[in-house]
This record gives sequence, C-alpha cells and structure tokens, in this order.
Amino acid sequence: MSESENQNGNQNEEVGQEVIEQLDKFDELPDAPPKRKLKLSWIGKISTAIVVFWVVIAAIGPFIAPFHEMDMDGDDSFLDAHSNEYGTFYLGTDYLGRDTFSRIIWGARMTIGISLASTILAYLIGITLGIAAAVKGGWVDMGISRVNDAILALPSIMLGLIAIAAFGSSIPILVIIAGIIYASSVFRIARALGLDIMVQDYVEAAKVRGEGLWWIIKSEVLPNAAMPLATDFGLRLVFVVLFISSLSFLGLGVQPPQADWGSMVRENLAGLTYNSWAAVWPAFAIATFTIAINLIVDDISAKSGGSLAKKMV
Amino acid sequence: MNDKVTPKFKPGEPGYSDLSAYDKGLVEKAVRGGHSRRDVLKLMAVTGVSLATAQNLLATGGRAMAMTPKKGGFIRMASNLHGPDDQLDPPLFTSTIDYTRGRAIYNSLVQHNDDLTTRGDLAETVEPNADASEWTLKLRKGVEFHDGTPFTADDVIYSMNRHMGDDSTSVIKSVLASIQEWKKVGSHEVKCILNTPNADLPTLLGLFQTKIVKNGTTGDGIGTGPYKMDSFEPGVKSVHSRNENYFREGAWLDGMEITAITDPVARVNALIAGDVQMSTVIDPKAFRQIESADGVTLLSTPAALQVGICVLKNAAPGENDDFVKGMQHIQDRERIVKRILKGKGTVGNDTPISSAHGPDFCHELPQREFDPDKAKHHFEKSGFKTAELYVAPVMAGIEDVCLLAQANCAKIGFDLKLKKVPTDGYWGAVWMREPLNVVTWNMRPTAQSQMAIQFGPGAAWNDTYWNNERMGELLQAVLSQTDPVKRHDMMCEMQTLIHEGSGMVIPAFSNINDGIADNIMGMPKVPLGQLGACEWPEFVWLA
Amino acid sequence: MMMQMALRRVWIGIATMFVVSVIVFIMTSILPGDVAQIVLGQSATPETLAVLRRELGLDQPAYVRYFMWLGDMATGDLGTSKAGGAAIADLIGGRFMNTMVLAGLVALISIPISIFLGLWAAMHPGTWLDRTVTFGTLSTISVPEFFIATLMVLILAVNLHWLPSTAMLRDNMTFLEFMRGMAMPIITLVIVVSAQMIRMTRAGILNVMSSPYIEMAILKGVPRGRIILRHAFFNAIGPIINVIALNLAYLVSGVVIVETIFAYPGLAKLMIDGVQTRDLPLVQACAMIFCGTYVILILIADIGSIVSNPRLRHPK
Repeated sequence: MSESENQNGNQNEEVGQEVIEQLDKFDELPDAPPKRKLKLSWIGKISTAIVVFWVVIAAIGPFIAPFHEMDMDGDDSFLDAHSNEYGTFYLGTDYLGRDTFSRIIWGARMTIGISLASTILAYLIGITLGIAAAVKGGWVDMGISRVNDAILALPSIMLGLIAIAAFGSSIPILVIIAGIIYASSVFRIARALGLDIMVQDYVEAAKVRGEGLWWIIKSEVLPNAAMPLATDFGLRLVFVVLFISSLSFLGLGVQPPQADWGSMVRENLAGLTYNSWAAVWPAFAIATFTIAINLIVDDISAKSGGSLAKKMV
Repeated sequence: MNDKVTPKFKPGEPGYSDLSAYDKGLVEKAVRGGHSRRDVLKLMAVTGVSLATAQNLLATGGRAMAMTPKKGGFIRMASNLHGPDDQLDPPLFTSTIDYTRGRAIYNSLVQHNDDLTTRGDLAETVEPNADASEWTLKLRKGVEFHDGTPFTADDVIYSMNRHMGDDSTSVIKSVLASIQEWKKVGSHEVKCILNTPNADLPTLLGLFQTKIVKNGTTGDGIGTGPYKMDSFEPGVKSVHSRNENYFREGAWLDGMEITAITDPVARVNALIAGDVQMSTVIDPKAFRQIESADGVTLLSTPAALQVGICVLKNAAPGENDDFVKGMQHIQDRERIVKRILKGKGTVGNDTPISSAHGPDFCHELPQREFDPDKAKHHFEKSGFKTAELYVAPVMAGIEDVCLLAQANCAKIGFDLKLKKVPTDGYWGAVWMREPLNVVTWNMRPTAQSQMAIQFGPGAAWNDTYWNNERMGELLQAVLSQTDPVKRHDMMCEMQTLIHEGSGMVIPAFSNINDGIADNIMGMPKVPLGQLGACEWPEFVWLA
Repeated sequence: MMMQMALRRVWIGIATMFVVSVIVFIMTSILPGDVAQIVLGQSATPETLAVLRRELGLDQPAYVRYFMWLGDMATGDLGTSKAGGAAIADLIGGRFMNTMVLAGLVALISIPISIFLGLWAAMHPGTWLDRTVTFGTLSTISVPEFFIATLMVLILAVNLHWLPSTAMLRDNMTFLEFMRGMAMPIITLVIVVSAQMIRMTRAGILNVMSSPYIEMAILKGVPRGRIILRHAFFNAIGPIINVIALNLAYLVSGVVIVETIFAYPGLAKLMIDGVQTRDLPLVQACAMIFCGTYVILILIADIGSIVSNPRLRHPK
C-alpha cells in the first residue's frame, strides 16, 4: 500500500486521509463489499462477449457451417487449410478428412447444449433435495445425505461408464448422468446454505408467525440462497464439459458422427505429432468458452462478496 | 524370378556392406515394412543407385536380416489390452497378451509357418491314416518342463482333454469338436481319433489355446517354452527370463517384460520414445508417425483380418436381400483401404477369404464395386429408409468405416444411424443379437475353417444367421478333396454362395500392424495374429 | 465434543460405505452381460457359458451373491477375482501402494505450491500478477487431462528424451530411476489439481476479506499482507482444507486417464477394468477403498477446520 502521502504534520489527519484513501481503493477491488448493481470489469465484458458469441454459434451453427459434420470431403486426413472442389477447409481437416472448422461450429451446439442442460438439471435436483434435507432434517436428511456421499465418493467417470454401458449413450442419457453426478455437489452447497438460513432470525420469525413450510422456502430460503448458488453455476458447467470429454477417452460420450469438442480433441490426438492442429482447435474452443464463463463468475462473485467459498465444498 | 530381366550384379559397385548404417537401415526398413520390391527399387533409383546394385542391395539386405542370431538383450512388449482377467491357463486365452505369454511359457504340439503350413513343435511327427480320421503323433523326447519334470504323453492327453467334455470351458471347445478321443500309445506317442475325417487337423493343433501344460495343473506358468516366468501380475505385467534348458535353438533374449498400454496414442509414443521395443495394434492414424520416426519400424503383415458388418438374415431389415445388397454397394472399398487403412489392407469382396489365404482365395469372383446408384436402387426396392448399425471399436478403423458408409448413405437419401456401444459386453449383448453390428475375426489358418466357423449351417458363431445347405455339404466335402483343381472349384463355389447370399458385408481386410524397434531381428510373419501370431518370443534376437 | 463428533463421523462413514456397496451392486447388476460372457468373449457358446457360470457361482440369484460378499467382507475376506481367479487382496495390494505413493507425492508438491500461489494472488487482487495466476489456472482447468498428458509426453519424452513416456516401474529401481519414472504422471497431476486448489485458496481468502472484522482491521490500518497471513488465512483454512481433501480423494479414485496414458498400475484403472469385466467383488473392493478414503479425508478436513477456527469448537 502507498505510504507516500505521509508528509503532513498532523498525525490524525494523516491517518484519516490514509484510511479514506484505502477505502476508495478498496471499493474498486474485486473483494469489495456487495453492490446491488452488477457492473462488470473489462475482462468480464470481453468474457460475456465470448460466451454470447458461442451461444449464438450454438444456436445457428448448422446453418452457417460450410460442411455437414459427417462430410469427409477433405483431400486427406490431418491436412492444413486448403481448398478443393467441395469448398475451403479454413482450419484444415481432422483424422477422417472432415472439416475441423465446421465440426467446431457443429460441436458448439453439442458441447454447450449438453453442459447447460446437465448443469440446469443438476441445479434442479441438487437444490430441491438440498433444501428438502435442510428443512425436513432427521431421517430424510440422513438418507439423502448418505446416498449423496456415496455418489461423491465414487469416481464420476466410473458412474458414467456404468450408466452408459447400461442405458446406451444418447444425449438425454448423457444429460441425466452428468446432471445426477453434479447434483451431488450442488446438494452439499444447497443443504449447507439451507441449514444456515433456517436458523436465521427472519425464518424463526416467520415460523412464529405461523407461516407454512412452503412459504418459508419460497419467500425466505430460496431468495437468500440464490446468489451464492448462481455464482457456482459456471464452475459446474466447466466440470460437465470436462466430464463429457473424459467419457470420450473411454470411447463413450456422444454418438458419432456428432461432434463435441472434448471428443474432437480425443480423436485427433494422434495428429499432434504431425503438427496438425486438429486437436488443438477444439481444445482452444473449450478453453475460450470455459475460461470466459469462469471470468464472469469471478467478476460476479467479487462484486457480490458473499460467503461463497465456504459453501462450495 | 525370370532370369532374363534380372540384371547381374557387377563387382565394383557398392554392395550392402559398403552402405552407411543409415542407408542399411533404410533398406532393411523398406524390406520389413512390407513395401513391394518394385517400390524399393523405385526408391533406390531416385537416390541414383543402378538397378543391378539395387537388386543386390535388396538381396543382401534380406540376407543381413538373416544373419546369425546372438544371445542377450531384453525386450519390453506393450500389448493393447490387459486387465484382471489376464490368464495363464491356455484354454481361456482370449487376448494378444495371453497368447504372447502362452507362447513364451508353453509349446503346442505343432506350430504355424509364415506361409500357414505347419511343422512339429512338441510333436515330432503328425501322421494321418488313409482317410485322415485317425492321427498318430510322435512326441519329442528329452523335453523338460521349467521345474525339471520330463514331458510325456500324459501331459498331452491331460492338456488336450481340457478342451473336451461337459465340464470344459475352453474357448475352442467347439472348434475341436471333431476330436472324439485322445489315446496314449506309449510314453511319447499319442493317437487322436476324430468323429469325422479332417485333413487340416494339424492347423487346429497349433491354435493359441492348445498349449501343453503339465499333467494336473491349470496354467501355473510352468511349461516347456523358451522363457520361464519370473513374475506375473494380472493387468500389470509379467517378467520372463530365458529357459537355459530349452530343447532347441531359440530363446535368444536374456529376458522380456510383457505388459500393455491401453491408450493407442500412448502406446505409439512409448515405442518411439524407446520405452518399449514392441507395440501391438497400431492405429492407422499413427502409421505416418512410426514410419517417419528413427529407430522403429511399422511391421505390416497382409492378413485376412476382416473389417466386417454383420446384417442378420433372420430379422428385419437383413432378411430382405435388397437391403443387404444396398449395404454392400454403398461401401467405398478403395477409399476404405486407401484413406482409412492408409494402404495397409486389401479390398474385400464380402467373403471372409482374402488373397492371404493363398490358392483357396477365389480370384475369379467378380469384385463388388462401390456404386451409390445401385445401392440407392436396392435400398428403395427394400422399402427401408433407415437402419441402425451398432458399432464398437472391436478393431482399429472399423468405426471410421461405418462413418464413411453413413456419410455415403446420407448422399443417396438413406439414413444409416450409428449407435456406438462400449467394447466390453459387446460380444455377449450386441454381436449376433442386434440386426446390424460390426465384427472382426482373427484370420484362421485355412479357408475351410475360416468359412466353417462363420458360415457353417448351425455353427455356434454363424454371425449373420445365414444357413445354407449347399454350404454345409461343401464345407464337409472339401476336407477330403485332394485334387487341387476340384478343391479350388469347391472353395470358389462356397465364396460365391457367401458373396451372393449371406448377410456379411466385408468391404476390406486390414493388415496386421505392429511397431517394433529396428534392432529386433528374426520376427516371424505368421498372419494369424499380432506380432507374427505371437510366435516371436522363441525367435527374435537383438542386433 | 471432539470425541463425540469423531464417533458420529465413524458411524456415518460405515453407513456411507454400506450405501456405496448397495449402489455398486445395483449398478453392476443392470450392466449388459456378465463376467462369464466377458471372459469367454467372442468365443462364448451357450454350453461353455453355462459351465463357467456354474464354476463362478453366477447361477445363484444376485442378492444371494451380494449377501455372501457382505458376509465375507465383514470378516475381512475380499474374495477372489471372478474374471482371472487371482485373490483380490493380491490384485489390489501393489496397486494400492502405487496409488498412495502417486497421490502422496502429488499432494506433497501441489499443496504448498497452491497455497503459496493462492495467497500471493489474494494479496495482490486485480494486479497483473493476480490476473496471470487466474488465467493460468483457468487455462489448465479447462483443457481435458488427456490433452495435457499427451502434450507432455510428446514434448518431454518423444522430442526431448528427458523423461520416460510411461511410468513402468520395476523392482529394485534406484531412487533416481524411480523418480524419473514417476515424473510425468506427477507433473501432469500437479498441473491438474493445483489449478483448482489455487483458485479455491484465492477465493476463500478474498471471501474472508469482506467480513466485518477484516474491514475493521483495514480501517485500523493493518497492512494488507499481515491481514491476510494473520487473520484471513486462518479463517479461510476450513474451506481450503476441504478443497484439498476433495482433491486428494480425486487423486486416489479419479485419475484413470493419467493411469491409462502413463500405464501406471493404480486403483482407479483397476476399478474401471473391474467394471468392464463385470468383476463384482473387485469393483466392490475398490469402491470400499475409495469410500473409506473419502470418509477419512473429509473427517480430517473437518477436524482441521475445527482446530484452526476456535469458534467452531464451541457451537451455539
């Protein structure tokens, strides 16, 4: 911190001035006290632009992609950018001679769609059960918590492997599997938040007033738990993207010829040795999307200043 | 070779021994990499070597590889699959790593040569009676198991009986079903009595699972083979050291480690980095990487390793012949070989027999070509607009073949859906159950056994449920046919039947592709499995 | 108080392990195919299948097999692998050590690095330094593990020949050889787990920084570095320990990709192999180890946060 203003004779004034100065500075720091108005830093703004860009690509991708995701029209596999009678391959071709550029565009829909849907599902399940456990307590809490611990204790990739082997790997199944696995982490946060809130004075007051359980959840618990939960959303999204890509490592994941960024990295790994960028581009796409989401999360949580970190684990 | 076109080598021009180590390496690499003579000659012409010299180089290069083997060295081999189900019990061998360990530790009664003929292994002679219904095997004397116990007829009777009877769980039980009884004649002589005559019995006695174990044991790692087992951890590795008492020449290495790296990219990287000296099952994606790397060679052995799509004939849509024809005509065979198998394969003609089967291959059968119009016509006639094909990565490239078929189907308006399923559980839950699925088979030593196993009426593994009476008659009759012309005619008739009538789509055959370090010499090239049908432990040595 | 909590935790731990075993049992019984089919593979015939099933005791109803396993487990008998016939204790023994050694070494390196970088970033929030750490950790968090691992192999093993590409361990290796063999998996995992721990350390401390007593300290003019080290860190240690515990649990049970790429024989890959061969006793044994590890780590984390935060020792 700056000591350069310590030139004035008056000690008190000096200290006071310094404190005010620090508070001014502090206000601009990411850990500043809560502000209701959401104002993003420039990093947050760029990140938002990137996320919006990918969401738009996900929405309109198939209409703007030069090739279909299954077309094998490239001159050969693992080529750099080139053109032939079918069109131009801006980012080169993948291991089957498919257009990497088009597959990334198609893959946006798959990757972002699955991760968003799974995370939303995880939140629905996790919050419902978490708050139910917190509010009801007793055996309900005990039962749900133990099953939840069991899911957390088992490796998620194994749970995914079993579920896919048993039910096949359609997109709904992938969403449900990822949703259930990540619901276990959301459950822990939601339950901890719920327990915290249930002992707060305003909830006690509501109980005394004779309000029903549902009213308490709806009017007191949910609004107060919303902000911390919302900021955790971004991290879960990243974990889902990585989870789907780690399934592709075991030869599972989305159905061919569908492209998702994680499996694109996987299937083109061999190209790294040929200086082919076919595996690098989808990795880059994953990185831009997930880093942008997390930077937004950072921005929001810095501004909200809630006791998020304690509840995250 | 025709003498007239073979130029004589002129003394004074550089010979093999004059080449630098690097150039020697190039020549050897070319010869071993399965390049045709023509390719190599062309390559040399570019570098300014005269044709005569090139020819000489090739010949001496070949000889150099047949130099006198020497003892010593250690090899680490990385297979593609392993796990807690790794076996030392021969009747339950199912994977390359099992076969390799089996070959290091044990011996069979006979073994296969590179050209698929057989020679005696633990049996010195294998002689049939007049109609090939009773075989007499004279066993090698003076052979000892690793623990010093002498090898006798009792060990053979015990080991072979484990493939028979109600309590047997042997994976080749049905393959050996024609054997009625094993009889001990003397301490080193046994008789094998068959239900039905079979002139090809010796090839069956050389299967991976027919290794001879000590009487009364169930595969405890003690055999007669070239290497003793020092340690074995299922799913991790096994370590072996030379059997100094081995009954014949071979077992050159001091020792070997047999392990697996299940990730295909990591397996290739480990080979190139020199951490393993052999890697099995190289993915076509990595061919270029190995070919351009120093110190390693891609060993590509032509084989009838089928890239197969089974269309079940006993259910919709496969019961409709037009649908099958559509599936067969939509296969872009040339492109599969060139682009997916990267040239290391041969075009298939929807029969399980390839040129690798030698004279039994029916080259007269017209090649079925990629013809989208015909495919479209057949699909339309069949009335089906969509179908679902189950795919598991049972072999390198098979998923890509299905993706190509899918893309080509889309272009003619047919919706071929792919359903990717895990390999584990595939053979029990999908193969022979779902109407369209993928399959591959290790090449069988004879065309007859290859067809009998998949297309014999009522055969246990008739994986398209195509039962043809005539096929059954021919399979039986060809076994006792000794006239080569008539035999070929029968073989051809069978291949035509399969080509025309079965539900099998075989657009291509893959070579067997492995990577080995350049200083490994004496590699066998038996095309029945990876790394010379896992016969290498006895033969290889390090230069 | 402490004793009571520990007892309650042990009880919860046992209950969790029981629930895990039931879940594993249910999940593996809905898988297509059984161990007999996997062992015989493509070569299975109905006849040989029936014989092998009888030999392995698979002809009994599933719940009977489960209770037999539970009975054996209660007496400390892990049983034998259905797929290969080896004793599960033998299969697991060496791999358990391997897993613990790898997890231990990674923890030893990554925990100090993470806490240091996390603190450093938290001390200078919003500076280029903080942004570099944030960006670096986010980049490594968001790229699939197998991409990082393969890139490391290509650079360090294939191109530079500095390190072996796989972690093949042999008996009687020297310490140096051993460390060289372990280097690649360790480097990869340190990168993967540190990223998350750094982020959580930074977030945890910045969170505490906004609590009233820290604001008080700031108002009193205590230097920021001292606030963080003396006040914020000890109050943030609870969540940080929790993240470390979860990451350690991941290092024990979840590193199947690293184990596969570096051919490192550990427990995570063994469990996947067990699932793929439908080897129920083996899967159960691994599940019990993972669950036990998880329960113990969470218990340690809880005790840690109580010890570090006196307020938690005397709850209202």
